[in-house]
Amino acid sequence: MTCSDLIKRDLDRIVRRERGRLIADLVRRLGNQHFALAEDVAQDALVSAMSIWPYEGLPDNPAAWLAKVARNKAIDRLRRLNKEVSTSSETAGSKRTDSVLFESQVEDPELRLVLLCCHPALTELEQLTLTLKLACGFTTREIADVFLATEEAIGQRIARAKRRLRALGKELEQLPLRFGIESRRPSTLKVVYLMFSVGYAPLSGDRSVRFDVALEALRLAEELAANKIMGTAESQALAALMCFQASRLEARESADGHIVLLGKQDRSLWNRELIDRGFGYLVAAKATAKLSPYHLEAGIAATHAAATDAEICDWDSIVNQYEQLEAMVNSPIVANNSAVAIAMAGNPAAALRKLDALGNDKHMQTYAPYHIARAEVLRLLGRKEEAADSYQDAMRCRVSTPVIRHLEARFVSCL
Amino acid sequence: MGKFALLLPHAPDRYTGLSESDYMDIIKDYVAWTEELTAKGIYEAGHKLTDDLGRKLVRGASAIEVLHTSAAELAEVLGGLMIIRARDYDEAVDIAKTCPHLVHNQTIEVRQIAEVGGD
Repeated sequence: MTCSDLIKRDLDRIVRRERGRLIADLVRRLGNQHFALAEDVAQDALVSAMSIWPYEGLPDNPAAWLAKVARNKAIDRLRRLNKEVSTSSETAGSKRTDSVLFESQVEDPELRLVLLCCHPALTELEQLTLTLKLACGFTTREIADVFLATEEAIGQRIARAKRRLRALGKELEQLPLRFGIESRRPSTLKVVYLMFSVGYAPLSGDRSVRFDVALEALRLAEELAANKIMGTAESQALAALMCFQASRLEARESADGHIVLLGKQDRSLWNRELIDRGFGYLVAAKATAKLSPYHLEAGIAATHAAATDAEICDWDSIVNQYEQLEAMVNSPIVANNSAVAIAMAGNPAAALRKLDALGNDKHMQTYAPYHIARAEVLRLLGRKEEAADSYQDAMRCRVSTPVIRHLEARFVSCL
Repeated sequence: MGKFALLLPHAPDRYTGLSESDYMDIIKDYVAWTEELTAKGIYEAGHKLTDDLGRKLVRGASAIEVLHTSAAELAEVLGGLMIIRARDYDEAVDIAKTCPHLVHNQTIEVRQIAEVGGD
């Protein structure tokens, strides 16, 4: 990246972060019902604050400067709109009696905004999209980029989600009370999990935006884990999982946009600090009698992270954890990954049987990782012609250019 | 070394109706440029003028008349000004040519700032 690209990337991050913070802060002051107004005001303030930087240059602490200017501008604009605004966030909640219970539980405005975006009236995809837009500050264009969708389609999805929330009117203020929060935790964790997957998948165009989506999910997971209400053992496990996965972000794509598979990754590029943090969350996650799927996924990721070399990885332990995970979730994708682990543990024949059984699932026919797994297992068994066919099947699925390049190379090596 | 002012005008409606993303992309180009010049010690200072069209004071027969400028009567408004360091006009012009203003808008006016003992 050139110097100017780096500046632009930093600016994007600062603006996103401040946009999310401002919206959260304003929603807290104005009430959940006014989330759309909060979004407009925040954006307006940010744009006008940012427009000065080209002339005056970047301030020493852009985030602090932006937050201050934007907050003042937002308050000005709200005064003009004759909305009652309290100038300190401490007094904001106490005015509404119905939020007293809520206050005692989730006080952090940003997490409250995430809970709002994960409202049960929305579909999972809408929850995810709205969280990216409102809570994480991504632009519609960036969201469209990571979903491989058009800006228009994402814009419509966001508008639909907002309409649905608006239709709830005052009801939006009442939830979530204690039980509302309890019931909303699983969907919130799921949204954060999906957000990470979207950012982590080597699927779409802009690598730096994708990485930022994954890092935002990691940030949310860590905030959930640190929260006294949301930070259950399951949340700790999710945070652990994301730390381990995020530690490999840089290593899994080469600078020229090629995929580097786990076994071939330069392990010195793994982020040790994130791995350590992951093990910390994993310890905290043990404080439960009931393991969640996140526990098992985190355990699998931890086993990889602990291995200094792909050869000496404890594949038997990974196979064992996948078995437990499969018993918990009925997912062909998990079964597919499980088959890969079985092959790596030294039993490619059993892995192939498992994969062939999965082939009846019609979703797997268009799921590139299925065909890639099958191709790799066939290679291990020395059945190169069939492997080549599977690589071709994979290339017919919806995959990104770097993946296609990788598959072409694998295909050619089978001929 | 002299100081040169870059005056950056734009069409009155240049930034109206732009999407957030488009506007932010433009701003980012400018910020990246300013930061690069700052790192090289070329950028001195700058000011953004507000987006309203300001007032025009005209001395009349008996009093000073204060006029609100309307967009309709203007082809361009001054968006802001930047001050850079350069040896001479040639160098100042070369620097100005790299300014994203000439990607996103039409003209830049370069004026040397008078200094005592300067040439």
